[in-house]
Amino acid sequence: MAAEKINITVNGKEIEVEKDTYLLKVLKDNGISVPTLCNHKDLTPSGTCRLCVVEIGHEGDKKLVTSCNYPVRNEINVETDSENVKKQRKTLAEVYLGRWPNVPAIKKIARQCGATDNEKYKSELTDDNPKACVLCGRCERACAEFIQENIIDFAGRGVDRYMTMPFEEVDPHCVGCRSCEYVCPTGAIHIDDDQNHPASGKTIRNYGMRINAEMATLDKNQCRMREVGTANIVDVMDEYDLLPVHNYKFGSHPDTYKIDSVMLKNKYFTQKSPDGCWKGCSMACAKTIDNFEIKTGPYKGESVVVDGPEYETAAACANMGCFDADFAAEFNFYCDTYGIDTISAGTCMAFIMESFENGIITKEDTGGKELKFGAAGEVLQCLHEMAEGKGFGVDYGQGIRWLKEKWIKELGAPRDFLQDIGMETKGLEFSEYVTKESLAQQAGYALAVKGPQHDEAWMIFMDMVNNQIPSFEDKAEALYYYPLWRTWFGLHGLCKLLWNDIVPTSTQNYPPQEAAKVPEHVKDFLKFYEGMTGKPLDEAGMLEQSARVHNLQRLMCRMLGYGTRKDDFPPYRAMGPVTKEEYESRVERYDKQLREKTDFDPEGKSTAEKMKVLREYREDQYLQVMNATYKRKGWDENGVPTIERLKELGIDLPELVEIIEINR
Amino acid sequence: MITVNNRDKLKWEEGMTVQEVLDEMRYSYSLITVTVNGKLIPAKEYDSCILEDNSDVIVFHLAHGG
Repeated sequence: MAAEKINITVNGKEIEVEKDTYLLKVLKDNGISVPTLCNHKDLTPSGTCRLCVVEIGHEGDKKLVTSCNYPVRNEINVETDSENVKKQRKTLAEVYLGRWPNVPAIKKIARQCGATDNEKYKSELTDDNPKACVLCGRCERACAEFIQENIIDFAGRGVDRYMTMPFEEVDPHCVGCRSCEYVCPTGAIHIDDDQNHPASGKTIRNYGMRINAEMATLDKNQCRMREVGTANIVDVMDEYDLLPVHNYKFGSHPDTYKIDSVMLKNKYFTQKSPDGCWKGCSMACAKTIDNFEIKTGPYKGESVVVDGPEYETAAACANMGCFDADFAAEFNFYCDTYGIDTISAGTCMAFIMESFENGIITKEDTGGKELKFGAAGEVLQCLHEMAEGKGFGVDYGQGIRWLKEKWIKELGAPRDFLQDIGMETKGLEFSEYVTKESLAQQAGYALAVKGPQHDEAWMIFMDMVNNQIPSFEDKAEALYYYPLWRTWFGLHGLCKLLWNDIVPTSTQNYPPQEAAKVPEHVKDFLKFYEGMTGKPLDEAGMLEQSARVHNLQRLMCRMLGYGTRKDDFPPYRAMGPVTKEEYESRVERYDKQLREKTDFDPEGKSTAEKMKVLREYREDQYLQVMNATYKRKGWDENGVPTIERLKELGIDLPELVEIIEINR
Repeated sequence: MITVNNRDKLKWEEGMTVQEVLDEMRYSYSLITVTVNGKLIPAKEYDSCILEDNSDVIVFHLAHGG
């Protein structure tokens, strides 16, 4: 949206500014020097120190205002150097100087304001300490805005005012994040805590503070992680036809609003403060629901705390066709309570529901439960049965791969159809994204060493929307880099969310391929590593660290009987439309692809004919991206790491070489 | 004709803005950068940046989540 512009006059010169811009920013942008003490670039302006005072005139009235927190809304006349302003600032500076004569920041401001008399306001309050606290309040705002805590604040009134933690004691909630120390203009705050014994606490702090500042200033306009956590992704995925609906048949649904971030924020999430995921984390994205009344199962009628729902859980509800946030909360609560993963539970149930709707299983197989899409109450019954180890819940708990085999063997179910709609690879259920239109993500899921989960690679936007990795080699390069980068987080016990769920504005200045990496955050993490270990690390070094582990994981996967080509194929539902209903729901998209990418003219052809050609095309595309990725990773055509690659990485241990040899 | 992300084609109209392209493509995501013929367009100019015919628009979505 284009911002409204206003013309103001500053010291006789006309300047065009965006409405609601703070006046101090306008002045600084125009090279006008204004003394400040309590102002900090990453903090909300507060007007505490009053040094940034300027004189404004509007419709005949003149008054002094603090420019830092004065939003421009009228065609005002601003004077930054009038006699009145100079007099006010000088008096203020003399008062500061009288109280804190040796603090360098105060001495500098006094010089700027022409205040030279140390004695004028000298009193019993005068503090000779060069690192005295000057009561600017920056630390209090940093604590609140950077990490959403209120551990430090003013106490006392008037001349007795001072900055402290509650009851003059070190508050146990303080994690020593150093945000207060970082913004303090005088050095009054010093934190000794270095319990992890980093090689350079300063390096860590400097890079960490950038993230804190970004969270405080950018998140509200980016992903809203602080406000709604990962639930924000529900809205985005629905909008981009990527939210799994009815066992990944579709990518959006008219009822998504019933489980989206707006619904969860307005009617469910109650804890707005940072939770215990990682105390001191400035993102604090985990949200919870207090006093939620449970309607079923062993906790029926009790009021509980629900840790979530996060994106994957809410999306799993869409996948089961259960567009009901009460259900999402209860499903979330019981999965947590029983120790069940909401993704596997949701994806497996979506498969069961589609099988039920297709008559593959009936109420006879489910203990009388009509497990159609949307059967929320029945899903909870199945969960309780699973936890109790009885009834259909026992089968449900075995997962998709097991269910497929049972139904084929015992019920004569059609193998091909179950294979197509059973969303698992390597025995693990898919996480909650529709990958049909993103070839790179199909491989991202199916090649992921531990099964189709998204924390090894998520490249749907990069591929499907941005079209920035068009060739097989481009996709293979992305499928080489991102799994290694993401593995690196796991290697060091770091959370990935601060990498790209908050993005510095300077990312705009990089060419797209680089921008996707969020290069400044990659640098921050590498610097963090250096600060912690004392060893510098560049991108190549990071990739090598991860590649060692990634290849080792692949060989372990092999030892468990999975890590070869045959294990790296996704079910066709992940690649394209399995049913007529699916094809016809997005007929324009699929017909277009047939026209543009194949020799087949869809005009006048039956859906069955079109589906067959589309499937052949998409499966061939998948083979090509898989082959290109194996090659880029240094694996053979069967997807097994080569001995040469292990040598390169310095992990050609005899026992690993043996695994390769045996399985060749 | 406007080309979006080297792939999608939109009919050009006199006075067409970047914002109209975003709306038509249903690109509502919060983390995007836009270039027109290689030149970066700041977010606040999406409404006022008028496209010439045959412009090459890149709407780059940065991923999050996942």
